[in-house]
Amino acid sequence: MNAFRVRQWFGVIVAMAMLAVPLVVTDRYVLKVLTFVGVNAIVVVGLALLFGFAGQVSLGHAAFFGVGAYASAFLTGTLGVPWLGAVALAVVLACVVGWAVAVPSLRLKGHYLAMATLGFNEIMSVVFVEARAVTGGNDGLGNIPFPSIGPLELRSPTALCVLVWAVALAVALAARNITLSRPGRAMRALHATEPGALAVGIDVAAVKVRVFALSAGLAGLAGALYAHAVGFISPSSFGLDFSILLMAAVVLGGRESLLGPLAAMTAFTLLPYSGALLPGIPRAVAETIQDWVPDLVGLTVVLTLIVRARGASLRFATRKQAEAGEDS
Amino acid sequence: MIVSDLLQIEGLHAGYGRIEVVRGVSLTVGSGEVVTLLGSNGAGKSTLLKAVAGLLQPSAGTVKLGADDVTGVAPEKLVRRGLALVPEGRMLFGSLTVKENLSLGAYATGVDEAVLARVLALFPVLKERFSQRAATLSGGEQQMLAIGRALMSKPKVMLLDEPSLGLAPKVVGQIFEALDELRDDGLGVLLVEQDANLALKHSDRGYVMRGGRLVVQGSAVELRCDDDVRLAYLGSWHRKEQSDADMEP
Repeated sequence: MNAFRVRQWFGVIVAMAMLAVPLVVTDRYVLKVLTFVGVNAIVVVGLALLFGFAGQVSLGHAAFFGVGAYASAFLTGTLGVPWLGAVALAVVLACVVGWAVAVPSLRLKGHYLAMATLGFNEIMSVVFVEARAVTGGNDGLGNIPFPSIGPLELRSPTALCVLVWAVALAVALAARNITLSRPGRAMRALHATEPGALAVGIDVAAVKVRVFALSAGLAGLAGALYAHAVGFISPSSFGLDFSILLMAAVVLGGRESLLGPLAAMTAFTLLPYSGALLPGIPRAVAETIQDWVPDLVGLTVVLTLIVRARGASLRFATRKQAEAGEDS
Repeated sequence: MIVSDLLQIEGLHAGYGRIEVVRGVSLTVGSGEVVTLLGSNGAGKSTLLKAVAGLLQPSAGTVKLGADDVTGVAPEKLVRRGLALVPEGRMLFGSLTVKENLSLGAYATGVDEAVLARVLALFPVLKERFSQRAATLSGGEQQMLAIGRALMSKPKVMLLDEPSLGLAPKVVGQIFEALDELRDDGLGVLLVEQDANLALKHSDRGYVMRGGRLVVQGSAVELRCDDDVRLAYLGSWHRKEQSDADMEP
């Protein structure tokens, strides 16, 4: 119990420290990068639930991210819906689209599920370009209003960063609670063995659809926050490459882990900005890193799968148990 | 109270695609009764269990649990109605702890502390391994966990597929002793087992399955004495002259 207390306090301190970072940092550019870290954290938590815990592949999460972004941008910018309502509707829409993708894809597993979701991502990429009335096509959608609740408008980079990080923190905590409770056990159970999960009375199909919809909804939430924080979105942000980056983060971060994928995604997000974030790094090195980011990501994934297929699997809470298990 | 026909299977047909594996099987399991299903590989025993447990849609026939017709009911609903399956190969959640595996056994019903205590009393080794991952248990411990997990849903009938598969005789003995205790609790058990001798020793009745049909049935004692059964499944070549005669063209 005491160790649990300590860990709780440690968590609170870390959370406060994280939320304090945007208040200490003043560089607008760095704040923007940190905002991206928070946005990507929300998406990767959803994908970690889906892929890391429930074992269901998705190469289409960038599309859900895009659905959330365009929906919220269109609702606020064009239709004048209040920000909070628009974000909520965007999340619901992403959930519904996720549900619609999950139901027919349910019968598919592994490579086939990967292909189906990949196809979905490609279809949505075309939709984002062609549905000009809503998305603005290749020119993108600009002048997206800042987040506001009533008269309170968040427009400074610091406020936006704190908002995104606070939401990310809440999402991570909620996801952690899910993984430790009954639905989380059901997800891990069907990942371990579907016949076993059926035998104990888990409605495998329903669990898969729910976790897929939840995961899509989180991607939509992140997309909505991204749209309002950046103010401009275009189809290039929601392509297959982002979906693959997300999957890579979960593979590297490890199975049944939230901290692992979060750490990996943070690293992947910061990598292209190393030139601006690390003072004193030679320009040539920074540019090389930027050019080679996809290759570095791919290489890390391949190395992870060769060296340790489970990934980093950062799990502070259960590490002791796992060690006790492996020793005997 | 002993119910003589807790599980009633009538004229059940089931198979995969166009291949019919179970061809009209009728049998009953009462409460507090262990019933063994014998048969060689490919006789259709596991398919029958799958069809009863709802993992496979029967093409004809009925399955009744008590007074309810549960033919083709989804497995997650059957568990709630009191039918638990211990699948072949155990199908444990390897990366989850013993405790989590047991909690998941009660996924449909919610964990009943009294039932948990009963399971841990039945298999004390699970208590020692409580926070270990299931994958780290020995084969025998895993089988105990698989049975324990099934018991967590407070079943009236348990379908037990090949519990002795790949286990040391001593451990198998422990598992069958636990089965004796469960029978005394009033649980009905339909057991599929390769080790016919051992299974019949711990059973009340038995059926022999061949080519998707039941060909012999009787009390465990009768089956152990039945020459055909002995020849085919018990490995006893007691009546040598008959077996020699059988082999002649």
